[in-house]
Parts: sequence; structure tokens; C-alpha cells
Amino acid sequence: MLFFGLAYELRWSVLWTEGHGGWILEGILTTLKLSALGWIIACLLGMLFGAMRTAPVRIVRWAGAAYVECFRNVPLLVWLFFWYFGAPQVLPQSAQEWLNRHGAEFWSAVAGLSVYHGARMAEVIRAGIQSIPRTQFEAAVSTGLSVVEAYRYVILPIALRLIIPPATNESLNLLKNSSLALTIGVAELTFMTRQIETYTARAFEALTAGTLIYLVLCLGIASVMGQVERSFRIPGLIARVGGAEH
Amino acid sequence: MVCRRSMRGVVLLWVTLGLSVWGVGHASAETTLEKIGRTGVFTVGTRTASPPFGFINKQNEWVGFSIDLVKLVHATIEKKLGKSIKFELKESTPATRIPLLSSGAVDLIAGTMTDTRSRRDSVDFSLTFFATGAQLLVKKGSPIRGVKDIAGKRIGAQQGSTNERIIREKYPQAQLVVFPDQPAAFTALAQGKLDAYTNDGIQLAGLKAKAPNPGGWEIVGEFYSYEPYGMAMRKNDSDFRAIVNNTLMEAIEGGEYFTLYDKWFGLKGEVPYPMSEPVLAFLLMQVVPK
Repeated sequence: MLFFGLAYELRWSVLWTEGHGGWILEGILTTLKLSALGWIIACLLGMLFGAMRTAPVRIVRWAGAAYVECFRNVPLLVWLFFWYFGAPQVLPQSAQEWLNRHGAEFWSAVAGLSVYHGARMAEVIRAGIQSIPRTQFEAAVSTGLSVVEAYRYVILPIALRLIIPPATNESLNLLKNSSLALTIGVAELTFMTRQIETYTARAFEALTAGTLIYLVLCLGIASVMGQVERSFRIPGLIARVGGAEH
Repeated sequence: MVCRRSMRGVVLLWVTLGLSVWGVGHASAETTLEKIGRTGVFTVGTRTASPPFGFINKQNEWVGFSIDLVKLVHATIEKKLGKSIKFELKESTPATRIPLLSSGAVDLIAGTMTDTRSRRDSVDFSLTFFATGAQLLVKKGSPIRGVKDIAGKRIGAQQGSTNERIIREKYPQAQLVVFPDQPAAFTALAQGKLDAYTNDGIQLAGLKAKAPNPGGWEIVGEFYSYEPYGMAMRKNDSDFRAIVNNTLMEAIEGGEYFTLYDKWFGLKGEVPYPMSEPVLAFLLMQVVPK
């Protein structure tokens, strides 16, 4: 039988011999670090701007919408190039040099990932907030809470629970999109698998390893998020998710 | 039911995939010449940003020294097959070229690929059609004068290139930053994100010639590697390899090679780079008698 129309003998040992195992581990660590930082910032940005898009003040809503439209409508790759090659250009020389000595590649990637996914996360959170009946907000305000307090103590806690499934989706996308960071010289997981591929010319083995590692990472995150969803659900409000068991 | 059927489909897919992987090694694929004859297309992988070997010029045409040489190979193939064959170019980078070749997406790599013993494990090479060595590109006046000065400095390289590997293995004190393509690395260098960019001397000369301000750049250091460029093809296809090699030998013997060399590397060429005496002698001696 033919595979890609040519003879090809598999040699999986290239994945761990000659220090390649160390490369893969380093790649996984960088990918996780990049994604975790990106995720935390994206969530904070998402909560802020998602809430702003539903605020009762028009100018605040506009500011939220401006952020979302600006950052989600430009390809992530362009944002990465922008934060790495573009943005530092306007900084003073000394700041640029400082950045270059302290991993400009990595932090540009964190910036790119978090603002892009922050915008997408904001839409998810807005959808969550808007699915809560307006009366809930009115009731909260009528108890004497300020608008910010009503969001902080009533609306967001419910919305954040409601949006766990789409937010899981976004988080997985963020992890997978972190692979684009290789274009600006960040040695993350995809970079490392390609590195092995170029050193050994074993494309099938190297890329299969990369595929499986992403799969495992994503399944891991999805199961953690599932756990979070179950343990934080509000009985009677979103407990319907358990209905499938019956 | 639907669910079960699709499940079975998935299992079947994996089994087929597994079997095909298992079955490799016993395959007898068609030769490159047969493939070209059958499809009527000769596909070559080359560079888009490595002047003057393969690059997009100001008129937006894909041209270069390697491309001109491979056009000679195309003519030989047409003569051999006795019919007109379509000539197609595809972009290949150091990271993608071997997979492109192995998968059959291209039939020949003619760019700036260094012939090495370890690469010969996966592909076959033609004669050497250009010889150069790795150096460093730095801003004029940089304290870096060669590889001896790169400890602690940020050195850019291209992923999958031979010099990236040498820096990684022999100069671990240097901070290596690896980019998938040359334009990104050069922008990073121009912006001061890198202290030096390393590649083969001739490629650096090409980059320098193409830069907005060629006088602001310097190519420094002795060759710290030997980089003989060859065209790469799928392994164990000696008929095809003979076509490529004979074409190159005839071009060197008949002088077309030197006309092309002058077109690209002459004083009025894209990247002026006079041929040294040893390189000339080496090229001529690669030509075996008829």
C-alpha cells in the first residue's frame, strides 16, 4: 500500500533521541505559559468589555463595541506582527532595547493573543449577560446596589456560569492559536515539532506528535472546564445540563 | 443509528490510515519522470525571498538564478519525454521543502538548499551549483566582527537552515531567535531586535543589496560553515537525477551556466558576487567526460 505515494518507514524514536524530547517539553511549557497568560488577560478584558457592551450608559456601550470590533476583525496573525514589529516602534529607544532584552517575542505574542481573544471573549460574556432577564438587574438595583455592584454581585456571577460552554470553546481556540506565535520567533510547541522535523526530516512522526499533544492538552482543558461547570452550577437555573443523564 | 454508522466510518478511516502507514516501505512508487509524463507538469519548489536565487522582483515576477537553471532542466525533460510539459513553481522554505518533496507536491527543490550528509538520508542531491558559507549580517559599525563575538548576543536565524543548527550546537552562549522566514528575521534585525542575522554569505549579500539602505549593513566574519547548494529530489531515482546532473554539466561545459551567473551575480546583476578561482575550478571539475 502507498502512503502519500511513496515509501516511508516510520521511526518514532526521533521524538525522544538526541535531546528532542527536551525540545518537546520546552515547547509544551512555552505553549502553556503563553496560553495561560493570554487566557487570564483575555478573560479580564472580556469581562470588562463584555459588561461595558451591556451597560446602561450609551458612551460606555460604544467604547465596549469599539474595542470588540477593532480587535476581533483583524486576523490574529496581523495582530502578532503588529505587536512585535509595529507597536514597539513608537516607544522610546531605551524602552525598545529593554523589551528586546526581556523576551519581546513572547510578550508580543501574549499581547496579540489576549487582545484578540479578549474581544471574542467579550462577545461571549455579553451574550451571557443579555440572556439574564432585565428584571434581575432591576431587582438588584432596587435593593440599593449601584450599577457596578449589581454587575459585580448579581449579573456577572450568573453570566459567567452560563457561558462556560462557549468560553471553553474560546479557551481551546486560544490554546490552538498560540501556535501562530512561531511566526514571530517564539519557540512554542508547533515550533519545536517543526524543529524536529527539519532536523530529522521525519515530518510524519514530528507532526503526529504535535497533533496528539494539542489533542491531549485540549481534552484536558475541556474536562477541567466541564468539572468547573458542574461544581459551580446554580441548581434550578442552569442545572438542566444534568438532564441528559436521565 | 446514525451515530453508530458514523462511528464505524471513523474506525474504518483510522484502520485504513493505520494500514497504509503499516504498508509503507514495501511500496513501489512511480519514478519522477513517469509522474511528470503522466501529469504533464514539472513542479519545482523554490524561494520567494532569497535574491538572486529565487525571489519576486519589482515587476512582481518570480525569477532567480536557481529558477533559470531549473528551466534548463525543464527543457531537458521536455526533450527526453518528447512532449511539452507545463513548468510550475511552488514556494518552499527550509522547513517545508523536504516534506513537499516527499509528499510528491514538488518534483525538484531548486532554491538555496545546502547539500549535507544527514539530508542525504532523506533526499538525493544534484551536483553543487553554487558554493558559499555562513556569515553574519550586522548594522554598520557593530562590535560583532564574526562568530567569536556572538556570546550573549541575540542572533537571528532561519528555521531549518544549516547555520541555525551550527549556532545552536556550537555556540550555545548566543541567544538564538529563530524565524520561519527571512523577511521577518531581517525586519527584526533592522528594528534592533537582533544584534546579527546569520545565513549563507551570498544570501546576506542578496538581503543587503535589496535593503532600502544597502550602505548601512555589513557582512562580517569568515565563513564558519561550508554551504554547497544542490538541487534536491526524491531518493533512489537515478534516471531523474542523471537528467538534472547532465543538464548542469552541459550548462557548465557549454557556458550557459556562466552567462546566467553573470546575469545574476555580475557587476550589473542583482547581487554582484564575482566567482572566486577555487569555486570556478571546483565547478569545472564536477563536469565528468561525455
